[in-house]
Amino acid sequence: MKKEKIFEDMGAAVVSGKADRSKALAETALKEGIEAVEAINEGLVKGMAVIGDRYAAHEVYLPQVLMAANAMYAGLNILLPAIPATQSVDRKKAAVAVVEGDVHDIGKNIVKTMLTAGGFQVFDLGKDVPVDTMVKTAENEKIRVLAMSTLMTPTMDCMKATIDELTEGGYRSKLIVTIGGPPTSPSFAEEIGADHRDANAQDCVNWLKGV
Amino acid sequence: MMTKAMTHIERCTAALSNEPVDRLPVAPLVMGVQRRLIGSGITYREWCHDPKLFAQGFIEGYKKWGHDMAVGLMDLSVMAGDLGANVRMDLENTPFVDKHIINNPEDYEKLAVPDVKKGRSAVLIEGTKIFSQALKKDIMCAGFVEGPLLALSQTAGAEKLFMDMYTCPSAVHAALKTMTAYDVDMCNGFGTTGCGALCWDYLWGNYSCLGDKEYHEFEAKYAKKLNNLTRKLGMGLAVHNCADMPHLKTQINEYGTILYSMAWYPLNPDSTSASQAIERGHADKCVITGNIDPQLFIRGTEEKMVKVTSDLAHEVKTALCKRGLKSKFCISSGCEVPPDLCTKLENITAMVKTAEKEGAM
Repeated sequence: MKKEKIFEDMGAAVVSGKADRSKALAETALKEGIEAVEAINEGLVKGMAVIGDRYAAHEVYLPQVLMAANAMYAGLNILLPAIPATQSVDRKKAAVAVVEGDVHDIGKNIVKTMLTAGGFQVFDLGKDVPVDTMVKTAENEKIRVLAMSTLMTPTMDCMKATIDELTEGGYRSKLIVTIGGPPTSPSFAEEIGADHRDANAQDCVNWLKGV
Repeated sequence: MMTKAMTHIERCTAALSNEPVDRLPVAPLVMGVQRRLIGSGITYREWCHDPKLFAQGFIEGYKKWGHDMAVGLMDLSVMAGDLGANVRMDLENTPFVDKHIINNPEDYEKLAVPDVKKGRSAVLIEGTKIFSQALKKDIMCAGFVEGPLLALSQTAGAEKLFMDMYTCPSAVHAALKTMTAYDVDMCNGFGTTGCGALCWDYLWGNYSCLGDKEYHEFEAKYAKKLNNLTRKLGMGLAVHNCADMPHLKTQINEYGTILYSMAWYPLNPDSTSASQAIERGHADKCVITGNIDPQLFIRGTEEKMVKVTSDLAHEVKTALCKRGLKSKFCISSGCEVPPDLCTKLENITAMVKTAEKEGAM
């Protein structure tokens, strides 16, 4: 099977949300001796970018995005372990988390998907994440981007507490902090000392790629 | 010519009929925050488990602010909790589901309608009855209930549910039928409370999440049955949707809604502002209510509340005039005023007082 055809089919598998097909094509790519990074970038990521654009244009909606993300991860699970360690170190590290006291993670998961498709190495800290966990992960893993989200008002202050602790520990200047979730706003981001707030995962990742 | 001073009921009734009003109605979505007005204050957990305390909050809120309408939202984990999902109940945080009960397609079919005379469903219905009986002679009272897709997403987890719509739609529909049956029981319960309207939360009718096709398939067809039942039981049909891009045509025109509560996200160019909602004809069909940013009640100053409310009142009055409408808008928050302990009660006062003054027609 030609390399270009494999990439094309991988992209199509992501766009159509076919996880089994994506996984099988990822395995084929490795068997054919294709470099994992190339298969990710030329196949999976391109498919996810198509979905991202269609979502932004209101041509597809959240279920299709989630299905596509599922297909992308099915392929990534095969390809990521095949990337030589020397190539992995080049990827910028990002951590995503829903802050403590909140478990609504659909937005965080979309951001995670878009960051992954954008070439970041993503540490998914999950939901209901304590301040300490975010700060320690940032420091220990040398995280360059911390993306925090919440759907609820009472938990917004955890974002500020995290930034304050990062500042106290001396790591704040070494990473970019972006926040999201319906109750947040650019003025709130400014108030708590975050670098950015976005309402849209893809716009946020585009912004992160530019800084 | 200025219309003579109206009672709350007269004002709301006139607004619904596009008759002249002395001023625009005002109704901040104050719910859980009102627990702080009961005695020296009670916890959220106490408030949402006791129908008398739930109702007392609304009664005290009306005494303090004198707004035109009370809407009896508790929180969005009532139905999921009574279905068996684990609800995390912090002392002062809004409760939320932290453990869903749908793990595979078969679980959708196992859902069973709980007894609405038990659990927090009963607290909600009984509490609505108490505050409606106490306040309905003075203000418009509405019950508040989760629509079937919202209640299912709280039970199954939204992400899983959205994917299962594609991978196992028949199982999802089986669960939606159960949720609709649960909502029928809830609706029948609210029908005995004396509330004048029932407000349905149809959150997922939102172009950020679902297109028309998916929304019609997975909620609208069920919602229409519930909307008809609401009317049949003598309650006005109200809809709340605080999403950024709600399905306005479906949820107003197709549903025959008389009051639509919506938010506004100014950073999203596709989000509909108050004046746009009026200009686009949505207020021709129903009273639009909104859209002050709830966060301002925590983070804003009284001066900011006055300015934002005043700006909204003038924006709305101008748009109504251009459209040839006499009323049809209620000044409110776009979503619940945060029940947070940090919410500034004086900001609610500032909003209501400003709306009373600047909303004069």
